[in-house]
Amino acid sequence: MAAYLSMGEAHRRIGDYLSRVVDAISSSDGAALASLFAVSAPDSTLLSDALAAFPDFPRLAGDRFPHLADLLVPLLRAIHSHSLQRFADAYSSFEKAANAFLQEFRNWETPWAMEAMHTVALEIRLLAEKADRELAMTGKNPDKLQAAGSFLMKVFGALAVKGPKRIGALYVTCQLFKIYFRLGTVNLCRSVIRSIETARNFDFEDFPVKDKVTYMYYTGRLEVFNENFLVADQKLTYALMHCNPQSESNLRRILKFLIPVKLSIGVLPKRTLLERYNLLEYADVMTSLKRGDLRLLRQALDRHEDQFLKSGVYLVLEKLELQVYQRLVKKIHIIQRQKEPAKAHQIKLGVVVKALKWLEIDMDVDEVECIMACLIYKNLIKGYFAHKSKVLVLSKQDPFPKLNGKPV
Amino acid sequence: MASHVAGAAAGSDAPHAEVVSMGQINPSPCPPLSSSHQPWSSASGSVTVSWNNQVDKASQDTVYYDPQRDVSVAGGNQNVGSSAPHAAQSSMGMTDASHSHVPYSSSVQHSYNPVEYANYYYSYPQAANDSSVQQGANQHPGAAYQPLTSFQNSGSYIDPTSNTYYNAGGHQTVPGYGSGSYYYQNNTWDSGSSGNNYAQSYQNYSSSDTNALQSSTSMPANSVPYQQQYNQWPYYYNQSVPSASSNPVTGKSTADNVAVNTPAGYSYPSSQPPPPGTTSWKINSVASVAPPMQAPGVSGPQNQYANQAQDHANQAPGVPWSQNHYAYQAQAYPQKTMNSNHAPLINPEDPQRTVDPIGRSSNTLSNHVSENFQPNLQGSMTTNTSSESKIQIPTNPRIAPGFSMVIPKSEKKNLGPDLSKKPAYVSVSMPTNDAKATQVGPDARSMPFSLRNYTIRNLNRCKDDAQRAACRSIMEEITRKAIADGTLLTKNWDTEPLLPLPESVAGTTEASSANHSSLFSSTPTPRKRVKSRWEPAVDEKVTNKVEQIAKGLVNSNIHNSFEPKNRTGSSWDHGKFLQSHQAPLNKANQRPAKKQKFTSNPSQIQNGNASSDSDKEQDLTKYYASATALANSPEEKKRREHRSKRFERSQDSSLRSRNSSANKDAIANMHRRRAVSSHLGRTYEEGTRAVEDMDWDALTIKGTCQEIEKNYLRLTSAPDPSIVRPEEVLEKALAMVETSQKNYFYKCDQLKSIRQDLTVQRIQNELTVKVYETHARLAMQAGDLPEYNQCQSQLKRLYAEGIKGCYFEFSAYNLLCVMLHSNNKRDLLSSMASLSKEAKQDAAVKHALAVHAAVLSGNYVLFFKLYKKAPNLNSCLMDLHVERMRFEAMKCMSRSYRPTVPVGYVAQILGFLRTDSEGCTADGDDGLEECEKWLKAHGTVLSGDNGGELQIDMKASSATLYMPEPENAVAHGDASLAVDDFLARTS
Repeated sequence: MAAYLSMGEAHRRIGDYLSRVVDAISSSDGAALASLFAVSAPDSTLLSDALAAFPDFPRLAGDRFPHLADLLVPLLRAIHSHSLQRFADAYSSFEKAANAFLQEFRNWETPWAMEAMHTVALEIRLLAEKADRELAMTGKNPDKLQAAGSFLMKVFGALAVKGPKRIGALYVTCQLFKIYFRLGTVNLCRSVIRSIETARNFDFEDFPVKDKVTYMYYTGRLEVFNENFLVADQKLTYALMHCNPQSESNLRRILKFLIPVKLSIGVLPKRTLLERYNLLEYADVMTSLKRGDLRLLRQALDRHEDQFLKSGVYLVLEKLELQVYQRLVKKIHIIQRQKEPAKAHQIKLGVVVKALKWLEIDMDVDEVECIMACLIYKNLIKGYFAHKSKVLVLSKQDPFPKLNGKPV
Repeated sequence: MASHVAGAAAGSDAPHAEVVSMGQINPSPCPPLSSSHQPWSSASGSVTVSWNNQVDKASQDTVYYDPQRDVSVAGGNQNVGSSAPHAAQSSMGMTDASHSHVPYSSSVQHSYNPVEYANYYYSYPQAANDSSVQQGANQHPGAAYQPLTSFQNSGSYIDPTSNTYYNAGGHQTVPGYGSGSYYYQNNTWDSGSSGNNYAQSYQNYSSSDTNALQSSTSMPANSVPYQQQYNQWPYYYNQSVPSASSNPVTGKSTADNVAVNTPAGYSYPSSQPPPPGTTSWKINSVASVAPPMQAPGVSGPQNQYANQAQDHANQAPGVPWSQNHYAYQAQAYPQKTMNSNHAPLINPEDPQRTVDPIGRSSNTLSNHVSENFQPNLQGSMTTNTSSESKIQIPTNPRIAPGFSMVIPKSEKKNLGPDLSKKPAYVSVSMPTNDAKATQVGPDARSMPFSLRNYTIRNLNRCKDDAQRAACRSIMEEITRKAIADGTLLTKNWDTEPLLPLPESVAGTTEASSANHSSLFSSTPTPRKRVKSRWEPAVDEKVTNKVEQIAKGLVNSNIHNSFEPKNRTGSSWDHGKFLQSHQAPLNKANQRPAKKQKFTSNPSQIQNGNASSDSDKEQDLTKYYASATALANSPEEKKRREHRSKRFERSQDSSLRSRNSSANKDAIANMHRRRAVSSHLGRTYEEGTRAVEDMDWDALTIKGTCQEIEKNYLRLTSAPDPSIVRPEEVLEKALAMVETSQKNYFYKCDQLKSIRQDLTVQRIQNELTVKVYETHARLAMQAGDLPEYNQCQSQLKRLYAEGIKGCYFEFSAYNLLCVMLHSNNKRDLLSSMASLSKEAKQDAAVKHALAVHAAVLSGNYVLFFKLYKKAPNLNSCLMDLHVERMRFEAMKCMSRSYRPTVPVGYVAQILGFLRTDSEGCTADGDDGLEECEKWLKAHGTVLSGDNGGELQIDMKASSATLYMPEPENAVAHGDASLAVDDFLARTS
């Protein structure tokens, strides 16, 4: 297509783009500027064609607007490289432009360009991801995302100040989270979180809702890693409550972590929820918890092992085992109560062993005894174990206390 | 023969004219033969002077040397005048040269120096004449020209007349120059001749064309040839040596440079009766040596060299033409085939032509080349010429860089035959040359590093030039022997004892060396550079640039010519010389070329520098710096500058170290280290060079230590190869550690030193993995978790690189370690996620995962069951968790069990009884006792009722249970720093 573009037309388009950028800056039109910075947006094809047809664009930009050459020239280069699918080059150019823009942005008193800054933050992350993919394919070191992370830290530094600009800080924080989670360097999140949650100049409620939801989602996930289930539940629930209900995929993402957290504190979701958000990998886990079916739990874990390991909920789900044991003992207790109410509170170890054998779980008496001890120890069962007679003696009152939102 | 030659010359001329399209020029050379001769001689006179210088140096006759300079200084077109003295010199030189020559040959270094000097000298004067702009063009044309001249020479070669006309060609060029300066003319002259020579040496054929070209282009061409001349000079010299018979001729020609050469030749023959072919070879080698000398000095020039070399190659072998020639030659003179360039030249001299050809050759250096050509010419003169013309033009590297590609092949071809025919000539020195010329380089490797190191080490110990020279000759001998025995590559040079300081070496060498030294001392002073030697040529005046360029060309040419030899390894005799000489030189040369430089141990380089005379170095540096000016392109220039700067630094450091630290071995080591660090520093300093571009391979050292046992000491400086063990020794060391009966601390120390040696040598293979695995296992067994973690992280990396080892075993360890000893759930998750399907089927990994499950659910019974049947050393890692697990278990049991639990049961489920199934009774008591002790230590309440069996009162215990302070805890928190352990280590 580019071949058909006349030089004049190309020149005109580039000039048009440049003047739009400069106009947006001079008129403090953040939205317009933001759209012009969207390097990877599909509507930049007209411009990229022109750039392809007019290879001397850097000079054009430099000559026309020398005071903004630092910003415009690499920006055009980035658009051009991006259209040629040379993402590493595009990233490098865009980073230069972004640095130039950040320089300008610092000098502007009002946050009018916040939208543009956010676009830059988003674009630089997306470009870095593409560039890393490209670099990894060519066997080079994919370090662009990391570079984007350090650039965004600079942006965060420019935003985390007193004044109206601080509102935009959470967006950048979320972009940073995305980078850190992708890179697997989530420990780097801590410093950002600290400054967001402790700094005086931030009032969390002031931030835009979308940023708050994203922030809560990521911090909730971090708490899942730390097995801090109560806090995780709180954060993820906040995210779920405030998330745009139309955004199914975001809801699903939140639920993907919220469900295991809820399970671990004894709250089971309805099956319809799992179905609606296509989270059926948790269905068997849920069923096993309801039935006390240890075998089913292990099967479910085994079946979705890779998935759970990847998302990081595997260990959470593994811990549900004790709850399944509790459920099993409870069921035995219920049956026994029906059979011989007099001895309802005395469960012979042999019965439990038999039940486990029926579930094809291979455990000897000592192990089962150990599990019973653990259940008592973890307060999943009230009572005691008599070693001499191998009998589990249940408390008369509430022998199987509910977790009620408390983790095991 | 003479007539034949004449005919050939005529024939060549005609085509020549066509090719060049310089009708005048072509014809002129032909007819003028006789007339031109004299001018030639005069021109040659200048050359001769230079020659004399060399000779002088060799003989160390200061007088000769001085005349040279004087002449040059005189500057007038006094070719004739100079020639007269020249003639005298030549005549004198004959005798003197002969005398001097012998020693000279013996001490390659000397020859080397002189050559350098001469070259140096020339180049300087030249510089003034030329304009910088011309450089680029000049070089190329020069190359092309040269071949042409050589062609003419070939004609001359056959007949004495040919010389004259050859000269005529040169003359023409001279006028063209118009630069009145004597030197310049001489240079041009020389260049004409030298070009011829050069061409001869390299490309036997192209001479005629070159001449024409030269005349036409005169100026640029001249500069190039000039340098060539220099190169050739040595070459000539060599050549002259073999042809004893040529002397008379030379005498006649007196005026000619040849004359000078001849004398040298004379001496040689007298001293060395070897077959002409061989001698020529030797000479060649010497010549080759000379170029290397030059090369070392210049850091920047390498590229040039390479380029030039390529050019040469293109011109000579690269061109189909050349190949043809070779083929011809081969037929005509089987012996000649030896060197692609030089060899052929020399060969002609040999038996067939004997006196006459030799004489000619000696007279006109270029003639030699022509000789080679002669056969070709004779066979198919016209065709050759035509092809030459065609070929040559394209050959110019600048014009058609692609041609360079061709060269290597042709060279190889040449080499091939050479080797087969004259295996005797294997020049050790050659490798160094190759190294210098990076492009050509690959063959350079033929000489093992260790040998080079060894040579350097020996040379380093020498206290003065004499010793060094002697040492070199010894080294040559050794190398030759090694090659003869076929042990060159297999011998462990690293372990070879150093030579005794060669005080007793032949007096001749000493004398010569003394002379040399005196020469050096005397000569260098006046020339002492004000600028830093490695200064990029850019700084120099424009006038110099041309010269520099020319020099560069020459150098490159020489290199090329030499390279083939090196590869062939045909000139062994010289090879020695070269080797010894080159060793230092070469290294220096290598520096310029990044790769090569790096490949060779930095220490080597440094040593090389140190060993070479500082004076020489200075000269070389100057020379090189000038050569640096020959920048083909801006980038080239830049690169060269960088390189030269690098050298500047290294050079300085080496000099400094040398001065301060005399010749002690210990100091040498220091140098090496310094060299390494300076290298590193340099690389870092070079802002332009990204870290990933650094050639770490080059900085890798190769250990020479043969001690199997070595204590670990954390490196605080660059590693010293003499205390680093090579891989074979490390293998033994590992075996020693594995079988050692000593305690863990000793083994750990040994393994750490092994690891260090592996690291500094960057050995990453199965041995590395084995060492780390061994150490990791030992550390696990000893409960040394920090050490284990180090090994584990290294192993992770090594496994990731695909090096085989006990991968499954160690992934199991990794899992256990992460789950039991770090509380990082993310790490555990990623470790588990990274397990492959096969890994999960492995017994050890399965076991580790089961342990994980047991720990997660608090199933202490299962944990201790798994503990007892742990595969490999899984139990060792679990060991570290046992105490905690037991305590957890007791806490759990005290909460859940009522009223009592027998100690026996606890002992059983908590793993106090080591054999729970069979040997329960046998081991029971011990286990019970231990369990009881443990329980008491942790505050459980025991009661002895219920029939005597000891029971634990769970309710009471739940309140009193506590985790005792670890007995072996130390205040500073690191048990391994405890005094007892320290004493245990030292004992």
